Amino acid sequence: MTAYFIRRLLLILPTFLGVTIIAFTITRLVPGGPLEREIMRMRQAQAMGEAGGSAGASNIVDPTASIPSRSLDQLKKQFDLDKPGYEAYFLWLKKICTLNLGESYVYREPVWDLIAKRFPISLTFGLTGFFLAYLVSIPLGILKALRHGSTFDVFSSGVVFVGYSIPGWAFGALLLVFLASGRFYDVFPLGDIKTSTYEELPSIVRNMEDLDDVTDDFGTFEWDRLSLLSRIIDRSYHMALPVFCYMMGSFATLTMLTKNSLMENLGQDYVRTAFAKGLAPNRVIFVHTLRNSMIPLATGLGHALSVLMAGSYLIEWVFNIDGIGYLGYTSILGRDYTVVMGILAINTVLILFGNILSDVLYAVIDPRIRFE
Amino acid sequence: MSSAPEKQDTTARQDSPRKPLLSVRDLEVQFRTDHGPATAVGGVNFELYSGEMLGLVGESGSGKTVTALSVMRLIPDPPGKITGGKVLFEDIDLLQLTYSQMRRIRGKKIAMIFQEPMTALNPVFSIGMQVMETVRTHEKVTRKEAFERAVDMLTAVGIPDARKRMGDYPHQFSGGMRQRVMIALALVCHPQILVADEPTTALDVTTQAQIMDLMIELNQKREAAAILLITHDLAVVAETCQRVIVMYGGRVQESGTTEHIFNSPRHPYTQGLLRSLPGPHQKPKSRLNAIAGNVPSILDMPTGCRFCTRCPDVMDRCHREEPPLHALANGQLVRCHLLEEEAT
Repeated sequence: MTAYFIRRLLLILPTFLGVTIIAFTITRLVPGGPLEREIMRMRQAQAMGEAGGSAGASNIVDPTASIPSRSLDQLKKQFDLDKPGYEAYFLWLKKICTLNLGESYVYREPVWDLIAKRFPISLTFGLTGFFLAYLVSIPLGILKALRHGSTFDVFSSGVVFVGYSIPGWAFGALLLVFLASGRFYDVFPLGDIKTSTYEELPSIVRNMEDLDDVTDDFGTFEWDRLSLLSRIIDRSYHMALPVFCYMMGSFATLTMLTKNSLMENLGQDYVRTAFAKGLAPNRVIFVHTLRNSMIPLATGLGHALSVLMAGSYLIEWVFNIDGIGYLGYTSILGRDYTVVMGILAINTVLILFGNILSDVLYAVIDPRIRFE
Repeated sequence: MSSAPEKQDTTARQDSPRKPLLSVRDLEVQFRTDHGPATAVGGVNFELYSGEMLGLVGESGSGKTVTALSVMRLIPDPPGKITGGKVLFEDIDLLQLTYSQMRRIRGKKIAMIFQEPMTALNPVFSIGMQVMETVRTHEKVTRKEAFERAVDMLTAVGIPDARKRMGDYPHQFSGGMRQRVMIALALVCHPQILVADEPTTALDVTTQAQIMDLMIELNQKREAAAILLITHDLAVVAETCQRVIVMYGGRVQESGTTEHIFNSPRHPYTQGLLRSLPGPHQKPKSRLNAIAGNVPSILDMPTGCRFCTRCPDVMDRCHREEPPLHALANGQLVRCHLLEEEAT
């Protein structure tokens, strides 16, 4: 089995190369790349400058005139477009190997810093969503299996299927309208991950904190001055709706998977054997059957690694959260290719390791699985 | 095996053969179906005596497994339900016990083994854990004691190197070995009764013989004081059981000692069953003497004798009234109108 995992680990390398080569090629081929964007920006600046000084203009410059070739060369060099594609790719790869993801074209900041800044946000949402989904889905699935056909089962199936059919971000927008806009209710904030003014703090927090303690000398509210408890409450208050949206999708799948898997196992012969041995029903269900039912669920656990970079653009956009999902999406639109490639590289590695982790878990939970 | 602890229950040994260990009285089991309740088993009566192996034979659908599961109260409910009768064990009606009282009987006093040893063992737990679990459920023992008991029992059922194999999983054993593990798991608490539901059906012929020999051996050594063997294999019954019950259509049709049933079967169904066995008298490549027709579904059982649709000696009254069990002088019981006709 060790040989199998060594082989799997070695396979990460070619897969990683394959994924990044394809992505890199796309960045080179798609029109409207960083160079064109930069040229356009410069032209706009030129045109603006001319418009400003046109009153006393003596020499009229053709607005369609090209950018001086010297700065064009500079730009090409900046984007590594002066070299053939393969050379540029190897340059990128070399940097990646030293864990240098390059600098963002748009933010003029190292990609690492951009990701690192947003990493805590992604991790909080990712982990909370992930654990809540399992924490709710598994007990719910068990209960549904044990009460199969009851009103509770039918009703919760309805809820599960509705949740499954509505995309999280779409439901997020609805939630905002109903629960946060103040048009119907004003229970939750409209977005962001923390409150920016003292007045907007949830009343529980406001009651605990004195205005003077949480403002600086100029009377500006400083969130970091809140007590730990207040910060947790405020954070949860902001996270409730987006986390709920993150959960919706996996919640439905996990619940039904748990239920169906448990139902299937409850009908197995070994369950009858367990009862024939005189075991208590709880032991039969929670020890004998559950362990077998968890096998399909374990497969998903490996992907827990991906929660490190979790972030759905649409959910982050709806809730105005500046996380990795949002960063990834805007960098694609803005042709900020170093950021795009950086996020892609990290995600690829996480998913590839996640797959192997799934296999390990699979073998741990089911002794019949032995990888050769 | 000398390593197996002595049975502490000596009453089983001293029991007079007239006092049955288990007595099933007028057992009736119904299943809920889309077409209303269907009676799978009705009016089943039999006794199991200490020290004996009792064979319960019949075709698929004759109600033998339902009868066995009723003794353990393991009928899947819903859709099944024991709707009548008594199952007397140690002067207690098992059907009247609360769930937790019954739980203490299962595996401790009455144990059961099943047909398919691959699926009957939990694939994700080691066999050691599964055998130890029976002990630890019923007796206050330490982990170490339970471990030793499991090793002893596995050795007793013929698992080589039992101590080393405690940590192995069911899929690492062959079919025959798995059935031995299953037997060990059932007998580790030294139950008085072992209900064996087709224990050899899923095994190949040589393994079948080994498992049957093991069961006879265990029965003689009083690891299991009495065995109720459910099978459709008449040859197995002839070799192992002292008494036989023949079931058809959810009814006991004939019962008696193995000798009487095999040498002088009185019920047309038993006669047909025995005729259908291939034997040395059979000409090579000739057709086997199958009983014509199929077992009727429990949803449309004939109103009179359950066997009337397939009986070669069927009479008019067989369609109208179900015959009672006629007792013969040798103790044989036969549910057939023919015996009455003979008497008159």
